[in-house]
Amino acid sequence: MSHTRRRFITALAAVTAGSSAGCLGRPDRPSADDGPDGEPVVDLGVPCTDSGGSVDLSGGRPAAAFDGTRATPEATYADGDLPLRGTPLHLGHERSALVDGDMSGGVGHDGIPSIDDPRFARAGDVELPGCARVFGVALGGDVRAYPQRVLVHHEIVNDVVGGEPVAVTYCPLTGTAQGFYRGGTEFGVSGRLVNSNLIMWDRARDVRWPQIAATGIEVGGQRDTDGADRHLGQSLREFRVVWTTWRRWSDRHPETLVLTEGTDAARNYNRDPYGSYEPPVSGHYSTEAGRQPNFPLLAYDSAESKRVVVGARTGAGAVAFDKRTLMESSVLTGTLGDAPVVAVADEGITTGYVYANPEGLPVERDGDAYAIDGTSAPPDGLPLDRLPAFDAMWFAWHGFYPNTGRVEI
Amino acid sequence: MTTPTDGRTETGPEAPTPRTAPITWIRSLFARTGVAVRGALRRRDGRATLLLVAGLYSLTYLWALRDLTATGPGGLDVFVVSEPITTALTPLSPFLFEAVARIEAGPIVYLFRPVNVALGVGLGLLVGVTLAVSVVSWRGPDACRIGAGAGATAGVPGLLSGFACCGPQLLVVIGLQASAGLVAAMQWMVPLAVASLLGTLLWVGSRVRLDPDYSRHRN
Repeated sequence: MSHTRRRFITALAAVTAGSSAGCLGRPDRPSADDGPDGEPVVDLGVPCTDSGGSVDLSGGRPAAAFDGTRATPEATYADGDLPLRGTPLHLGHERSALVDGDMSGGVGHDGIPSIDDPRFARAGDVELPGCARVFGVALGGDVRAYPQRVLVHHEIVNDVVGGEPVAVTYCPLTGTAQGFYRGGTEFGVSGRLVNSNLIMWDRARDVRWPQIAATGIEVGGQRDTDGADRHLGQSLREFRVVWTTWRRWSDRHPETLVLTEGTDAARNYNRDPYGSYEPPVSGHYSTEAGRQPNFPLLAYDSAESKRVVVGARTGAGAVAFDKRTLMESSVLTGTLGDAPVVAVADEGITTGYVYANPEGLPVERDGDAYAIDGTSAPPDGLPLDRLPAFDAMWFAWHGFYPNTGRVEI
Repeated sequence: MTTPTDGRTETGPEAPTPRTAPITWIRSLFARTGVAVRGALRRRDGRATLLLVAGLYSLTYLWALRDLTATGPGGLDVFVVSEPITTALTPLSPFLFEAVARIEAGPIVYLFRPVNVALGVGLGLLVGVTLAVSVVSWRGPDACRIGAGAGATAGVPGLLSGFACCGPQLLVVIGLQASAGLVAAMQWMVPLAVASLLGTLLWVGSRVRLDPDYSRHRN
């Protein structure tokens, strides 16, 4: 099956993402949708200029069928075991507020089906436009790319990467792609939202985990498991998922496997139900001032709601960096709680990394690397404590963490 | 097929009323509607109206569900899930069921959800029958003008129910904010549509009277 790139945009979704030079908080800046060449920078922080091409993501094989992949679980977990952080993550609200904000997203339990038997192809065996959004994972020696066009219909992939059972998750409404260790269980889509964000459920005990908060907030009624309550207030262990484009990811990792459309679900992968990231950026993804979040938020802010930030949180607090500014500046500093942090850009894959920097060491760009403390280190390997971070739409980040540190926002 | 020329529902001295004999009145209502429907469908224009309206309505319903879109890449491709029967009965949300096949033909992509096809055809038949009775009545010798528009109006909730399946997604696309109440209300759109369509059909049916001679002459 060969798919040419789709140009059709439904009448309902045809919301023109025109100039919005007067974006809140940035009156002197052009629309966040428009780069120097009119290419969208809304989610990448830099323009994407390689949007042509065709799509062929048909078929595929289980990751275990590829030589050299560690696609069979090597870690040992009992059924239902779930790896948790030693210290729970900071919540920007009382847990009860998250529970009160839990509302139906309009679909039932597992009404958006997770992919539990993912199938992959090698990079050279698929066709995908260079600007196609992918969520990249490099873990334990394995490298995977999960196309946004597939995950927008499933939101969760229960996979094994680097020998670890993991879940790669994506919430289209908040623009967040995050990875979690899942141990001896799987995650599914509960059909509920809080602060517009996907609430996952773990299939062993039906604890509800908002994706961004990554913390158990309540127990649902799908399972009757003793001891589920002990997971409330606990946080999942995370790994890095990179929001980037296919060209950038496959250039950086030519050996990557890519998730195909062989999902055993009859879905129209040519159509994004929420809008389009391709020019003109439309629907929910549009940054036009009139396009506000569609579901009630836990907290509101006057800054441009769809601006993309690189957010990080620990047990002590949260901090967010404007992604576009980070891509332009390479290094930004801020505080998380009272502690200094530093963010650095990896322009090659248009992402940012956030580090605790308790001594406030100076960090400077040094070619493709960064100079710190007399050494040169790659963006993802500074000799500091790297914090879990991910891209998010500002409204979503602020909704969860209204007291977040904010840098260039 | 005729109605009283003054536009009122015919109620003779012996005719039951909702107050005096509610059960009899309801039976009479259904009986009259049944007679009206059978009378309408005996005629060619009635059958044509039914088929045309039901067909168009069903297609529009599938478009509203976004099961029928012009997002195809070209070429022909058919994909069927591995367990179609179990899958077909898997609910995704109230009155929306899982697709069992994806059919691509040129620019058209169609997701086949058997239960939703049945729902769409059922709603379409209700709209079509109502319109058929209205059209036949409107073209009748008394030109009673109960109004084909009544049937069309009755179809609106049914059509909206197509959007209601994925209401929150629709709100996302058009940029309206959903509330918990609105999302909950949308789950009732399909039963509301069925109820309103049945109500309109009974209303239309109760206002017509079959004239066997006229019906025979026109056929």
